[in-house]
Amino acid sequence: MLTPNMHINYWRELTRNNFGKLGLAMLCLVLVIAIFAPFLARYDPGEPSHSILMPPSLAHWLGTNDIGQDIWSRLLCGAKNTLLVALGVGVFTTILSTVIGASAALVGGLYDKILMRVIDALIVIPAFIVIILVAAYVLPNVWTLIFLISILTWQGGARLVRAQTLSLKERMSVYAARTFGANKLYLVIRHIIPDLNPILFAVFIHSATRGVFMEAGLAFLGIADISTVSWGLMMHHALRFYYLDVWKWWLIPTGLALSVTIMALVFIGHAFETAMDPRLREMEQEDWQC
Amino acid sequence: MLELRELEVSYGKRKVLHGINLNLKRGESLAIVGGSGGGKTTLGLSIMGLVEGTVRGEILLDGTNLVAVPEKALRKIRWNRIAMVFQNVENALNPVYTVLDQVSEPIVAHNLRDRYDAKRRAEELMKMVNLPEGRFLAYPHQLSGGEKQRVLIAMALANDPDLIIMDEPTTALDALTKVEIINLICNVRNERELTILLLTHDLYAASMLSDRMAVLYAGRILESGFTPALLSNPRHPYTRGLIRCYPNMTTTKDLQGIKGMMEFLDTGCPFHPRCTQSIGICREKAPKLEENDGRFIACHRGGIIPLLEVRDVSKTFDSVKAIDSIDLTLYEGETLALVGESGSGKTTTAKTVIGLFEATEGQMYLEGKRILDRDKNFYRRVQMIFQNPMEALSHRLSVQEAVKEPLDIQKLGNREQRESMVRHILEEVELPSSQSFMNKYPHQLSQGEAQRVGIARALILNPKLLIADEPTSALDASTQAKVVKLLLNLQEKRGIGMLFITHNLALARKISDRLAVMLKGNIVEEGPSNEIISSPLHPYTEDLLKAAPTLSANVPVVPTNNKNDGQGCPYANRCSKATEVCFKEKPKLQSCSSHRVACMNLKPEKEE
Repeated sequence: MLTPNMHINYWRELTRNNFGKLGLAMLCLVLVIAIFAPFLARYDPGEPSHSILMPPSLAHWLGTNDIGQDIWSRLLCGAKNTLLVALGVGVFTTILSTVIGASAALVGGLYDKILMRVIDALIVIPAFIVIILVAAYVLPNVWTLIFLISILTWQGGARLVRAQTLSLKERMSVYAARTFGANKLYLVIRHIIPDLNPILFAVFIHSATRGVFMEAGLAFLGIADISTVSWGLMMHHALRFYYLDVWKWWLIPTGLALSVTIMALVFIGHAFETAMDPRLREMEQEDWQC
Repeated sequence: MLELRELEVSYGKRKVLHGINLNLKRGESLAIVGGSGGGKTTLGLSIMGLVEGTVRGEILLDGTNLVAVPEKALRKIRWNRIAMVFQNVENALNPVYTVLDQVSEPIVAHNLRDRYDAKRRAEELMKMVNLPEGRFLAYPHQLSGGEKQRVLIAMALANDPDLIIMDEPTTALDALTKVEIINLICNVRNERELTILLLTHDLYAASMLSDRMAVLYAGRILESGFTPALLSNPRHPYTRGLIRCYPNMTTTKDLQGIKGMMEFLDTGCPFHPRCTQSIGICREKAPKLEENDGRFIACHRGGIIPLLEVRDVSKTFDSVKAIDSIDLTLYEGETLALVGESGSGKTTTAKTVIGLFEATEGQMYLEGKRILDRDKNFYRRVQMIFQNPMEALSHRLSVQEAVKEPLDIQKLGNREQRESMVRHILEEVELPSSQSFMNKYPHQLSQGEAQRVGIARALILNPKLLIADEPTSALDASTQAKVVKLLLNLQEKRGIGMLFITHNLALARKISDRLAVMLKGNIVEEGPSNEIISSPLHPYTEDLLKAAPTLSANVPVVPTNNKNDGQGCPYANRCSKATEVCFKEKPKLQSCSSHRVACMNLKPEKEE
C-alpha cells in the first residue's frame, strides 16, 4: 500500500530519480515528434506513390512501403496515434476506476459488495480476447479502441482506489471535517480526492502503458481501422514482407519507437513508485549519496 | 420575625437594592452572600435604619414596618432588638475609649442599667466572647484583629437583641481566628436563640453559620435555599461562579472566575452581561425570584440549564455492546469527565454523541431538544477535539485553511470576515496570528501548537458543547497544563459545557465538576468530582483512584483480570468484595448519597 503522507512534488520526485529522468526524456522526445510531425514529415503519410518497397534514400529516409507510402512520415505520424491512445486510455480508465472505486468505498454496504463481485468477475475475463472478438465485428477506430480498452481494464485500478479510499475515510482529519457539518460531496472533493492523487497518477501511468501495449498488439494482429496510422499496424504490414530486406528499415524503427514509448512510461511509473514508497526512497537516496 | 417586602434602596438616582423579599424566622440564621459591591452592607444598614438613601418597601420586624417608624422610636429598637456587628473592625471602635467602656456604652445609652452594673454586664459579655481578662481595659489599637472582632460581637450582644446583623465578621481574620470566631458565634447563637443575618462573601463562614443562604448580586437576590443544598448543588450560574472562585478544600476543580465586572442595571437580569447562557429576554426583563424544585431562583432559564442529556443510549457493534444504556447529564458551563480504563467505551460515547457513530438505542437531548438529525446547525452547537492533533488536521491544509474550514463548510461570512475570525480565534487560543504562522502546515507545528489549532477550529463556530476526547494524552505534561488551562479559561468565558474524556483521574479531578466512571460500556459511578475522589463507593473507582498518579513512592496494588466476564457485574472478576450474587446479577445504577453507583454491595449499607 502506498503511504502518501506529505505533499508530493511530482516533478521533483521524478527528476530526482535516474529512471524518472530517462523516462521523462524519452516521453518528451515522442511528444515532440507527435506535435511536430506535420512539419517533420516530408510526405503525406497516407498518400501512396508508385515507388513501392524502396530502400532508404535521400528522398525517402526510411524507404517506402508496399503501396509506396513514406515510412519515415508514417513513423512520425504514428507517434500521435500512440500517445492519443495512451492519454485516452489513461484518463478514461482512471476516471472509471476513481468513480467506481471511491463510490464503492464511500457508499459501502450492498452497493460495495455487488461492485466488488462484478470486479472479481470482470478481472478474469481476458480483455485482449474480448476486444479481438468485438473488433472482428466492428473494426475499431482510435476512439472506439480507447473506449473498449478502458471499459475492460478499469477493475484493477478501481480496487486500488477503493482500498485507498477506505483507509482515507477513516482518517481523523476526515472525521474532523464531518464534525463541522460537511456533507459527503465536500469530503470527497476536499479531503479524499487530493489524497488519492498519488494513487490516481499511478493508475493513470499503468493504464496508459497498457493502452499503448494493447493498441499495438491488436493492430499488429491486424485488428485496426486500416486508415489509421498506427505503429502496430505498420509492423503488421511489414511482417508480411519479412522475406525482403524491407524489415530492416520498416519493422525495426517502428518496433524501436514503440519500445521507447512503452519504456518511457514504465520508467516514469517505476520512478514514481520509488518516490511513493518511503522505504524504497531511502535506499534511493543512499545510492545517490554513494 | 423579620420580613423584607419589595425593599428598594437608592442613593440619589442609583438604585442599589431592587425588590428584595426575605423572610427570617426566630432562631434562624440567614446568610446573604455575594461579591463585594453587591449591596450586602446596604441591606444590613437599611434594616438598622442607618442607610443614607431613599428606602422604599417594607421592613417588618414582628409586624412593625421599620421604614415607617420615626427615628426616635427606631433608636429604641436599634441595639435593643436589632444589633449589628460592623464590618471593618479597625474603624468600628473608638480609639480613645477602652473596650470595656465601649461595650458598656449601648447599655448605658439605653438607660438599662447604671454605669457600674453596665460595666459588670460588659465584663460578663467579654468573658463570654473569650476575651482575655487582662485585655478588658485595653484600647482598640492594643488588640489584635480577632480580639477586636470579639469586642464588636460583645458590643452587639450588650442589650440582648433578638436579631444580630453581622457584616463580614470573619473576613480579615486568619484561618484559626476565623474558626474561633465562628465557634463563638455558634455558641452564642445556641445559648440565646439568636436570629442571625450574616452578610458575607466568605462562603466558609456562611456555610458554617447559616441555615439558609441568599445570593445577592447587584441589588437583587438571584438564588436562595438551604445552605448545604445550595453549596453542593448551586443552580444559578452566579452561585456556581461564586463557589468556583472560592478556594476551599471540598471542591477539586481548578479555580475559575466569572467573566466581566459587576454592573448595576435598571433593565434586565443584572447578571446577564456576565452570564454565559443569557438569551434575549435576559436583557429586557429582570427575572422574578421563583420557587423551582425546593429552591428560589431568579433566572429566565430556570437556573443552569442541562446542555446535553444522554438517556439510555446504547451502541452495538455487530454483537458487541460497546456502550450499554448509559445515562448522562451535562450542564451548561460545566465539565463532565468520563473516566475509565481503555476499552470502557469512553470514546464510543463521545463519537456517538457527536454523531460519528449512530446510537443503536436511546435518545439524546441538546438544550432540552431531542437530537434527531445532525445537520449543520447541530455542529455549530457541538464540536469535538480529537486525541491526536496531528492526525486530526489534514496534512494538506495550512493553519489558516484548517481553522477556516468549519466556516467554509458552514458558509459563514465572506472571505475577509472568515480570515479575521481565524486571526481572532488564533489569538484566543494563544497562538500567533501572523501570516507566516498561518501558512504553516501541520508537520511544521509542535504537538501543543497542533492541539491549539485543533481547539481553535473547534471553537470558531462558537459551540456550546465541546467534546474533548483525550485532548491532552498525546502531549507532554507542561503542554498539557497549558492546554487544560486554556480550556478552563474558555469555559469561564463562553460557558462551554465540556464532555472531557480521559483515563487520567488526577487530571479529571482538576478540571471537572462531575465525574462519570465507565467500565465495559457501563457507567458504574457518577457524581460530583470532589465526592467521587474523596469517597468513592464503587470498588472499581477505588482501584482507579489507587492507580491515579501521585508523587509518593508507594506502588499501588490493583487487581488484574484474567477471566472472561459472565453475566454479572462487569467488575466481579476483579472486585475484592465480590459475592456470589455479583457474578449472577448485573447491578443497576442507583442513587446513593450524592452519587449514583452500580454495585451490589451498596444495598445493605444503604438500608442501615
